[in-house]
Amino acid sequence: MSEQISALMDDEIAVEDAGRLIASLHGSKQANDAWSEYHLIGDAMRGNVMLSKEFKQNLMQKIEMEPTVLAPKAAQYNSQRLAELKDKLPVKWSIAASFAAVMVVGWMALQQQVQPESATQAIEIAQVDAAEQAIPNEYLSAHQASAPSTSSYYIQSVNYAE
Amino acid sequence: MKQFVLARCFASATLIAILLSSINLRAADDDSWQLLQKAAVAARVLSYKGIFVCQTSKQVKSVEITHMYDGKNEFARNVVLDGSPREVLNQSGNLVIYNPQNEKIIIEKRRGQNMFPAVLPANLDAIKISYTLRQAETERVAGRSAQVLVLVPKDALRYSYRFWIDAEYGLLLKSVMFNSHDEVIESISFNQISLMNTVALDWFKPKIDHSKSYVMENEQALVPGADKSADWEVKSLPAGYRKVDQMMRKVQGKNEPVTHVVFSDGLASVSLFIEHVNRQSKIKVPQKNMLSSSGNTNFYTHVSQGHLITVVGDVPEATVVQIANAVVFKKIN
Repeated sequence: MSEQISALMDDEIAVEDAGRLIASLHGSKQANDAWSEYHLIGDAMRGNVMLSKEFKQNLMQKIEMEPTVLAPKAAQYNSQRLAELKDKLPVKWSIAASFAAVMVVGWMALQQQVQPESATQAIEIAQVDAAEQAIPNEYLSAHQASAPSTSSYYIQSVNYAE
Repeated sequence: MKQFVLARCFASATLIAILLSSINLRAADDDSWQLLQKAAVAARVLSYKGIFVCQTSKQVKSVEITHMYDGKNEFARNVVLDGSPREVLNQSGNLVIYNPQNEKIIIEKRRGQNMFPAVLPANLDAIKISYTLRQAETERVAGRSAQVLVLVPKDALRYSYRFWIDAEYGLLLKSVMFNSHDEVIESISFNQISLMNTVALDWFKPKIDHSKSYVMENEQALVPGADKSADWEVKSLPAGYRKVDQMMRKVQGKNEPVTHVVFSDGLASVSLFIEHVNRQSKIKVPQKNMLSSSGNTNFYTHVSQGHLITVVGDVPEATVVQIANAVVFKKIN
């Protein structure tokens, strides 16, 4: 048993066995004492500052002596306020929230950018036919910005002259 | 895991609630509208991951999609796999687009509700007015059995569609748009798709390219609402189209803000731009009416009573011309 506890502390035990062992630690006083003792030994060996034997007891006593904060009404009031606020939140908020999430994605992209190190040239073969040229870009892009067709999300009819 | 089960419960509850309400409202509706309704909801409340191919007359792009629904919010990350690595992160319709442009990556913010496979609006009432729906054969898409639905316009003012809907989950697997000559003008189709068993969000972030600098796009100067001093109005819109948005917009290369009105029939959208032209403004005014098209997008511009009227939309030519002609100017005493 004590060997197993030691192994558990050194992280040298199979995960399946560890679960069973920890359960038995809670059950057996002997095992629990061994657990505390081994930790004490370990702390001492590593030169960690040791807590006095009565530390836990002293701490609990000090907590007992602390003045009790008697303001349950304030806490209640706050939770009521919160509930009221939640009721009052307009539907717009959820829309704003979804927009905010999309904005965060955009912001992330802006944050993650670094200065271009090498100017990699992306060459795309432009397929421009005569008819395409006939529709002025400024109107086509304005149309697609407000009323995009299904394919315009992927295939751009507008030729950017930048 | 528990959370996932909850999300699934919520998802199916939402699905059932919406299905039930649609059944109650239109008891006479046939199965195909219900199936389309299921597809509209499934794309938003299911969690899935896959790769789809988006094809127009101009280009073909593969896109990797990860979509998750946690019972409240939708999260989706779309990464374009071909060409420049554009990414679209979508949280319940709030989009952040990472758009590589030469040495920079431009971060754009948009609103968007029609990203594949959620191309259908949750409310199909507007579509029911302008289109008829019929069931076609069963086909196999992305290794899954799919029911084909054909959405045919009741007039020549819009395009027709074919939808492939997963027989088991109701998810839209493929969507194809046809022009009036039955030629394909846009096709989006899953290559592979699988449902996800997670509510983790660790994937909901862009891949950062450290060699590029990230910049927010120039804030689009927008003022929502109508121009109070407008001396024009839009009369007799094409059937089925209604105004969905109006704003004053700063258009690239223009000094004065331009009125921008958006019309939709539930699936297709058209933009109308109106601006003053006078001798001081340096607007390039077309010599005569100009009509042009690119893929499924049509463009029409003409000058009327000192105003330049421009219409752009993913609709047939007839529709852009009709909308431009629907603008009438009030008589000035």
